[in-house]
Amino acid sequence: MNSGTAKWQRNVFIASFIIPTLIFFGIFTIYPVVQGLYYSFFDWSGMSEHKTFVGFDNFKEMFHDPIVWRAIGNDYFLVVGKIAGIMVLATFFAVALTRFGFKLAGFFRSIFFIPNVISVVVIGVLWNFIYNPQIGFLNAFLSLFTEDKVTITWLGFPAHTIWMLLPPAIWAGIGFYMILLIAAIQSIPESYYEAANIEGAGEWHQFWNITLPLIWEQMKVSIINIMMTTLNGSFVIVWIMTEGGPDNSTQVMGSYLYQMAFRQFHFGYGAAIGFVILVLSLITTIVLQRLMRHESVEMS
Amino acid sequence: MRHIKNPVVKFILYAILILWSISVIYPLIWTVLDSVKDNEQFFFNAPWALPDFPLLWSNFSYVWSKYNFSTYFMNSLIITVGSTFLGVLLSAMTAYVLARYKFRGSNVLFLLYISSMMVPFVLALIPLFFLMNSMGLINTKIGLIFVYTSSLLAFGIFILVGFFKSLPKELEEAAIVDGASYYGTFFKVMLPLSQPGLITLGIVNVLNIWNEYIVGTILINDPEQYTLPVEIGIMQAEMQYRTEWGPLFAALLITIVPILIVYIIFQRQIASGITAGAVK
Repeated sequence: MNSGTAKWQRNVFIASFIIPTLIFFGIFTIYPVVQGLYYSFFDWSGMSEHKTFVGFDNFKEMFHDPIVWRAIGNDYFLVVGKIAGIMVLATFFAVALTRFGFKLAGFFRSIFFIPNVISVVVIGVLWNFIYNPQIGFLNAFLSLFTEDKVTITWLGFPAHTIWMLLPPAIWAGIGFYMILLIAAIQSIPESYYEAANIEGAGEWHQFWNITLPLIWEQMKVSIINIMMTTLNGSFVIVWIMTEGGPDNSTQVMGSYLYQMAFRQFHFGYGAAIGFVILVLSLITTIVLQRLMRHESVEMS
Repeated sequence: MRHIKNPVVKFILYAILILWSISVIYPLIWTVLDSVKDNEQFFFNAPWALPDFPLLWSNFSYVWSKYNFSTYFMNSLIITVGSTFLGVLLSAMTAYVLARYKFRGSNVLFLLYISSMMVPFVLALIPLFFLMNSMGLINTKIGLIFVYTSSLLAFGIFILVGFFKSLPKELEEAAIVDGASYYGTFFKVMLPLSQPGLITLGIVNVLNIWNEYIVGTILINDPEQYTLPVEIGIMQAEMQYRTEWGPLFAALLITIVPILIVYIIFQRQIASGITAGAVK
């Protein structure tokens, strides 16, 4: 076999393994993403064939749209709330289930991950039932302590309802990050802790001086991941639980995109919202990475 | 490993862990209990009350046949299996080449897949709807399988490139010396060797696709083609007009139980899939 055909065979092999995947990816991921950016410069109801090029008008309109500002505010409210809630609890569970020698650690770990395997739709329905004013769990529980039956419409207050979406989001997210942090803690050499024990360092001391610095890298990854999944995906639980209501008070960018495009048929405007989500998530990634840059410790 | 000695601290730690376990398990228990209740029990008994006898098992047959969950279940099953299989196969092919062969553009290609994980998928929803519409793939299982497959590729390639690089080269080289073709080497030597990685990736994909809601909602509006999460979303919206709480919980259970079984069997693979994905 001469080297020409060998090379040819190699190239054919490479091409035949690269191209099918790339075709799928190109048609169903890259093309729609690029189109999404492109559509954001048009006014388009989706039904008519002609889109009107409007330049930056959609973005100017967004600037004057109070719901957009509210949605961005809600997005970052959820980002901050989820990062705080998930990181504190996930770190606590990860440490408790690795460092303290509990017999049931494996059992707890399996249980805590369960919300992560359940569809977000199902989670939304379950929490809607908890909050249901007539037959819900929360009101029934509170009614145990009052004379009259409690009938609070938990998801009905424009000023506070976004707060009610935080517990399901945290509840559903913890298991995943706990698993990540458990893996990070388990990769810390046991000798570090033994040395600390000999020096008589207490649990807190060990946590602050050994565990935390050595899992900081993994925590950064987790924090950025929570931020990105929240900006890109938290609208599903919002949509299931409140559809952005009451009175658009729980709207986030994703749900507003969905409503604008698929309920009100402003596809250009919806695409512009998508563009802004992309920009926000890139900027926030950079800012967070800057903020968390220092203090990472390399394991020797 | 260090055992907590202070009994008070130990008690508090255990209490927190047990409370959180209850918060996770209890909703599942009450889903089971509520799936065999009738409307009256929802309105007049406490939500935590045990269901009255006789248990209303008919809620299940009701959603299964009248609500057509038998169809949605099959749709979900076909779509999950189809896109997981295609997604893993296509990821493995590209990942193998990227891990083992240097060629012009290979780094760019890898970067393209990896950086796409930074792009919010919500951006693609609107164009995807029109694209699928123009291709005649709206309201088809195959259309949904194609979109899901594509959504699995970046993560799959990322995981499997790392996995293939960790495998020893000797077996491949031996296969080539024995006269195996490139294809033979991949399908007969590499794929069997990489089974643990492929299974891990496959399981993580199964979880994601079985539970996927938003793309399904946008690309499917023919009731014959609904997946389970899509129908759950619709059922819950309809709850405002007709109250069928028992059947709703039965429907939730039909959606949760299969994936819970997968989780129980493949816990280990799921955990390793998550940690492999985060080591950047």
